[in-house]
Formats: sequence, C-alpha cells, structure tokens
Amino acid sequence: MEQKILALANRRADAAEVFGEEADRTVVEFRGGKLHSQETRLTRGYGLRVIKDGKIGFCSSTDPDRINELTDAALDTSVLGKPAQFEFPEAEKGPEVKVFDNRVMLVSVRRMVNWGKNLIDIMHARVPDVKLDLTFTRTYREIKVKNSSGLDVGFERAEFDLWITGLLVDGGLVWIPDYVNLSNGHPLQFEPLADRLERQAKVAKQKAKLTSGTYPVIVMPTALPSMLVALKFGVNGKQREKGTSPLIGKEDEKILDENLTILDNPLHSFGLASSPFDGEGVARHRNVLFDKGVFKGFLFDLATAAACKCECTASARRGYSRPPVPGITNFEITSGKNDFEKLVQETKEGLLVYEFLGGGQSNIMAGDINLNVTSGFKIEGGEIVGRVKDVMVTGNLYKMLEKVEVGSAQQDLGNYFLPFVRFPALKVATKE
Amino acid sequence: MDTMKSFLKEVLGGLAVDYADIRVEETEGSGVIYRGRSLDDVRRSFERGGCFRIFHRGNWGVATFNNIDENLKGLAKEVASEIELLPPRNETLVALGPFEDTVRIRPEDDPRRISLTEKRSLLRHYNDIILGNKGIATTVSVYQDSYKHVVFYSTDDRSLDQETVYTGFACRAVARDGNNIQDYSDSFGKTQGFDSLKHREPMCERIAKVAIDLLKAEPVPAGKYTVVIDPLLAGVFAHEAFGHLSEADHIADNERLKEMMKTGTRFGVDELTIVDDATMPNERGSYRYDDEGAASERTELVRHGILVGHLHNRQTAQQMNELPTGNSRAISYRFPPIVRMSNTFIESRSTRLHDMMDSLESGLYVVGSRGGMTELESFTFSSQYAYLVEHGRKTRMVRNVTLSGNVFETLKNIEAIGDDLTIFGGIGGCGKGGQAPLPVGLGAPHVKIRNVLIGGK
Repeated sequence: MEQKILALANRRADAAEVFGEEADRTVVEFRGGKLHSQETRLTRGYGLRVIKDGKIGFCSSTDPDRINELTDAALDTSVLGKPAQFEFPEAEKGPEVKVFDNRVMLVSVRRMVNWGKNLIDIMHARVPDVKLDLTFTRTYREIKVKNSSGLDVGFERAEFDLWITGLLVDGGLVWIPDYVNLSNGHPLQFEPLADRLERQAKVAKQKAKLTSGTYPVIVMPTALPSMLVALKFGVNGKQREKGTSPLIGKEDEKILDENLTILDNPLHSFGLASSPFDGEGVARHRNVLFDKGVFKGFLFDLATAAACKCECTASARRGYSRPPVPGITNFEITSGKNDFEKLVQETKEGLLVYEFLGGGQSNIMAGDINLNVTSGFKIEGGEIVGRVKDVMVTGNLYKMLEKVEVGSAQQDLGNYFLPFVRFPALKVATKE
Repeated sequence: MDTMKSFLKEVLGGLAVDYADIRVEETEGSGVIYRGRSLDDVRRSFERGGCFRIFHRGNWGVATFNNIDENLKGLAKEVASEIELLPPRNETLVALGPFEDTVRIRPEDDPRRISLTEKRSLLRHYNDIILGNKGIATTVSVYQDSYKHVVFYSTDDRSLDQETVYTGFACRAVARDGNNIQDYSDSFGKTQGFDSLKHREPMCERIAKVAIDLLKAEPVPAGKYTVVIDPLLAGVFAHEAFGHLSEADHIADNERLKEMMKTGTRFGVDELTIVDDATMPNERGSYRYDDEGAASERTELVRHGILVGHLHNRQTAQQMNELPTGNSRAISYRFPPIVRMSNTFIESRSTRLHDMMDSLESGLYVVGSRGGMTELESFTFSSQYAYLVEHGRKTRMVRNVTLSGNVFETLKNIEAIGDDLTIFGGIGGCGKGGQAPLPVGLGAPHVKIRNVLIGGK
C-alpha cells in the first residue's frame, strides 16, 4: 500500500514520503484485584507528506479506499504549507538494535491473566488491604518509511509491559506505583516485584507529618518522569527553532550537576522507544544531551535541523496521523555511585517520593514546577517512618538539578532508564 | 445507514454472548498552526475505523480495527472464544431496549464546506492581533475542526446513526523581556460550525495583554490562602476535583470508595450544587447519544451540598443499582467507551463578585487554568495568574500559582458561590485511562474558598 500511495503522489508532487504504521495490540486489565477486560487493537494507517513548489503538505488516512483523495488533500494543504528547507533523505544502513523477541508474541491472553492472578494472590497473602490495578500491554508494531529519493526502510518491534498501581484505602487513599518492562521475552518475576510493593505498602500504613521547609528529597525513578517534563521540553529542537528553550546558546556550558549524564538512547535493548530508524527513515544513534552536566545539544528532525542550520540527530517522532516532530526516544540518566539504603540512613529529616501527580508545570519554558506528591514518605533519623499527605515540592527544575546525587542502579521504565536522584535541599510546602 | 447497519448486525449476529455492540466511525478533520508569523503546519485527515465490545458471563472482550470487511466476523468469534476462557463473574449490564434514531448536523455547521484558505485567514487574523502588541515575542495559534459520523448497533437492538461536529481555536502568546519569558493562552470551541469562531478579537487582545502583564508579576509566596477563583478555574475544580470522583467506574469495584461516595453524604455547603449536563445546546461536551447507545442526560451530582448522583455507564449503573446516565464515552473508535463527564459545572447562587471581594481581608484572586490532574481525592491544578488581595482590593499580579489539596476538605471550605455561571469549551479536553483529549465543557460562577494550599515561590 505504501508503494501505491508513493507512486500516486510522485506523479503530482515534486517529492513525497509515505509513513506506514501497522500495530496489533493486546491489553489485559485488572482493576481492584479483579480481571476487568481484555482488548485487541488493530491499527493500520498512512501519513503522506509531499513537497510541491517548494512547500510542504500533509494528509493521513486509515481508509484504503480513499488513497486518491489522500494525494489530493496533501497537495491541497501544500498550497498553504510551510517552505521546505530540506530534502527527503536517501537510504542508509541502520544500527543493530534489539527490539523484537518472538517470545513476547507467544504470550497468550490466558498467560497474562494467570500472571495477573498470581501476583494478586501473592500480594493478597502479604498485604490483604492493598487492591491492585494491573495493565498488561503487548504490541506488535511494524513501521515502514518510503520516499521519492529511494529510501525504503522499516522495522518490527515487540513491546510488552506491566503497569501496577496498588491502592491502599486507609483513612485516605495511598497509591503504590510500579512498572515492569517485559519486552525482552523473559517471564514475569513475581517475588522481587511483590517485595517492592510490600515494602511500600507496609510503610504507607504509618502516617507521618512534615512541616513546610527545605529538606533533602530522594525522588525514585517512578516519580522522575513527571519532574523532568521541562527538561525534555528544553532539549527539543522545535523549541530551539521557536526560540522558547532556556538552553539556547548554552551548548557546551555546564548547566546541571556533574553527576548527571543524560542521554537520548534509541539503541537501548528492548526500550519501548528503541528503533534502528527514526520517523523519517534516518538511521538512529545515541544522543548525549548532558555530559557530566554540560549541555551537548538539541534533538532535531529534518525540518528543525534545516531551520536551525544544525545536524539532524535522527530524532523524528511520529505516528501515521501526524507529521514528524523532534522527540526523545528512551530518556536515560547514567547511574551514579550512591546506595539507596545508605543515603536514607544518612538523612536526619527528609522526603522520599515514589510518585508525583503530573500537571504541576507552572511555566514549562522556564522550568518552574510545583508538584503534588501522591506517594511520599517521611525519612526521619535515617529511617522511612511513614507516608505524608498534602505535600508539594516547588522550585525551578534547572536550579534543582544543579546539585544532586545519583543512585547506583537504573530502573527500566520502558522508555525511561533512570536511577533515583537525591536533591540535598528542596523547598517543600505542606499543610502542617 | 441501512447497509452499514445490516453489516454490523451480521458481524455480531452469530455470537452466542450476553451482550455485544459495535460502532463504526468516519472522521474528517483539518488543522492549521501558526508559530509567530509563520504558518507552521496545515494538515487534513480522513479516518475510518471501528470498535466492537463483547460482554459474556461478566467479562469484556474488546477489539478496535481499521479494516471494515468480512474478516470482522472471524475477529468477533475469536474475541468471543477468548473471553469464554476467562473465569465467569457475577455481573450484568443494564439493558436499554430496542431503539433507533438518526442525528444530523445542520448543513451550515459542516466544516468540510469551508476552504482551508478561509480557515487559515481567520486564524492568521487572530494571530496577527496578538503579534501586533509590543512585548510579544511569539505565538502559537491553532485551528482545528472535525466532522464525525458514527453508526452504532447493539445486540439489545439499538441502532443509532449520529453526526457530530467540533470547531475551535486556541492562541498562546509568549511575552519576553530578556531572560524573563511568560506566556498566556486561551481557547474557544463548540459543537458548532466555523461561523461560531468569528468576532473573537477581544479574546485575542486579552491574551496579549495578560502575557505582557505577567512579565512584571512575581511568583506567589507559597502557603495557605483564602482565594476567590474565577469561573474557569472553578469549573476546572468542578471537573477535575469533583467530577472525576463522581465517575462510577472508580467507585463500583471498591467498597471503601463506595462508602466514601455514598449518596446522602454531605460534601459541602448548602449553596453547592454540581451538575453534569450533556444536553446543553452547542457546548463542547454536548451530545445526543453516548458511545453505548444511551441518551444523554442532565445529572445532578451534588444538590444543596449533599451527594445525590454518580456518572454511569450500563455496567456501573447495574453494579450500583442506579440508572445509566449516558456518560459512556470514547475519544474515538480506537477505544472502548469509559465513564466520562460531559459539561460539568457549579450552579449559580446569589453572591455578587463585588461582595465576595469586599469580604476578603487578605488572600488571592486566582484566574484561569493551565490544566490540572487528580488522583481521586488529591488534586493539583495550575492557574494562569492571580492577584494578591488586601482589604478587598486587588494589589499585585502574581504568577506560578498552583493549587492543591484534598477535595473533600476543599468543598467544605467554600465560603461563597457567585451569580455569574459561565461555561467554557476550547479545543483541548479531558484525559482519563489513556484517552485524551475528550471534548468536555466546564464552568462555574466565581467561588470563594478558605484554607487552600498554594505552591509558588
């Protein structure tokens, strides 16, 4: 089909590119400790980008009966379109990256159901008042990119993961989040996961009070993504083009603590965003964003690279229904040297966060954040003493990241590979 | 309609199951984006796809698809046999009974009859108004429209053929003074045609003015405040903090929550009435039938401070022995419907804004919303800006004002409800269960609340 669309478009456009996406997704969901539903989601769609008289047009469709109209509509939009400052690339060889393990595709719905029930039984025996929500999501995805410069690439990816939320209703609600990436084809390991959930649930039953002030805060990998939204925004080449990133003109400057090396890593084995090619068919590679705290550069697709007169970093992100934009693949913070238990023991009074409620970006451009803690614990005298409620962490993300300590082990969160991060002094607002 | 209806009937016809439904959607949309002076994106799309759901012995099986052909019958049988494997659960659905209806949009509302050039010109006009203000560094202006045609059939012999339309635009102004960058945005959107977007110049002027004013605003000192919140933020509160709690899919499975959200429980002051109403004409969250074939309704959630209702689909209504409220909605054929709000608002009362402010010795007047999130009883939302208030007078403008807290406590802390209900739409929407943005409306009059935790400096 991609070839047919490209042939039709080539007849009338000066240049054309077809992005084809096909996905077969299975979702098995448990809610409140009970099997809730299973879903099959079959997707097939095409995005057509054309260049006509030096201008770009775009249209997408899932309807194979309307491919003639697809070309018409893409040409229609090109009349008003943005000037094309780039050409569609020629083919190049992509890197080897592990993104498909056939064992993932062989896991039956019944097996997912059994895994879920096992985990729920184990947890019920350990902490009976925790209700588990589980979501198994397994996706087979096939991506194809073809263009009028002769590029014709594609890949298949098997994505499989499990999100866990434990809900403890104990005079208020406490959320216990966890995650397992199962894309490497290995079966679910129940015991280590149950140990982690049990540890959080037990301490969550104790209540603790924290007064407003400045404290050392340990942010666990599950909570970091909501905190790092502004940083992902800042390194995006689209923001460089628009002039709205605070990192403009700061390449090779030390911005963050030297303990922080941050990568955009599309080559991480079985990362949910790993791939040999980006959304425009350009061969992927690792992009170092911050090397020991020094800012190394923005992420670009073809259009933003051309607009900013920079190298394309193979960072085009897209589904069939949208034209490409630059985006992070797998966000990785290199592990440091710090042991979690030891840092807790050394803390006289502090906060440990497993989950923030998102939506606390009060000024994403500047990096100002106000994050509501939904799963947080007080550390006192070197011990985790109980959960805290009505607590917010406030400040500027870039300032916060100027001084941190980094944990020694990365947690795999699918498209985030993160250690815990300890901030020596963050401003914490509470109702106490 | 009749051909599609008989085809859909055939797909589900051979299944020996308790209940099944199928819907097929055709969507056409267009979008234009300006960034600063340059036209950043123009696009069109045609989508066709569908979703069927099978309910048998208490379990659901769902499939979404793009290929609408004979193979669907095989897929339906496959899904039905997979749910046979699941252990039976003692659950049923409320049956709605045979019904047939067709809903058509007014031809003048159809965005497909307007050229891309005309859509572009209107957006450029609004974008230029903002850029014409000194101090504005850049803008992001977005136009969006969609036409949707859904054919629905369920095994309790309900068949519906419904057209809907959305048009809207949003503008964001970015003001800059050296390293100080501030932004402000607003949007407008309805289930009406292109003409509803005309004459919105005052909104664009205001967007520019506020962004520029924010350059001089300081971050608000964090702490506890008595606040007067404007109709938009109060509407976001009604939606985010209370509306989501009323969605019965959270409640039905959880005994403790069921106890917490029991009808008859006092939730707030006598003046407080919160309503969800999908039947309001032309609002962003309005529709005639939901995505499992139930007619839309006006549902009171809180009346005079007492919890009186929940939002339901067929399953949660059965579980809680209440009636479906027509709130089972999906953002598209890619998803099965889940319990969602429509237009959610706090009803007007008698206090005038002037009197509300007069009685505020010291506190904040908080305006607008940058979105928010809830996890059941906890909420956080960011406002656009606020003013410090001393002895009833607004003094300095402040920014980075984020409100958070416990919804039950906050509702009890309401001191006054205004007389100026306004409903807002826009082009974004609500996110839940991975389905965003779902078109919703929200609103309220001005509301005064004591003891609110504000995150800031």
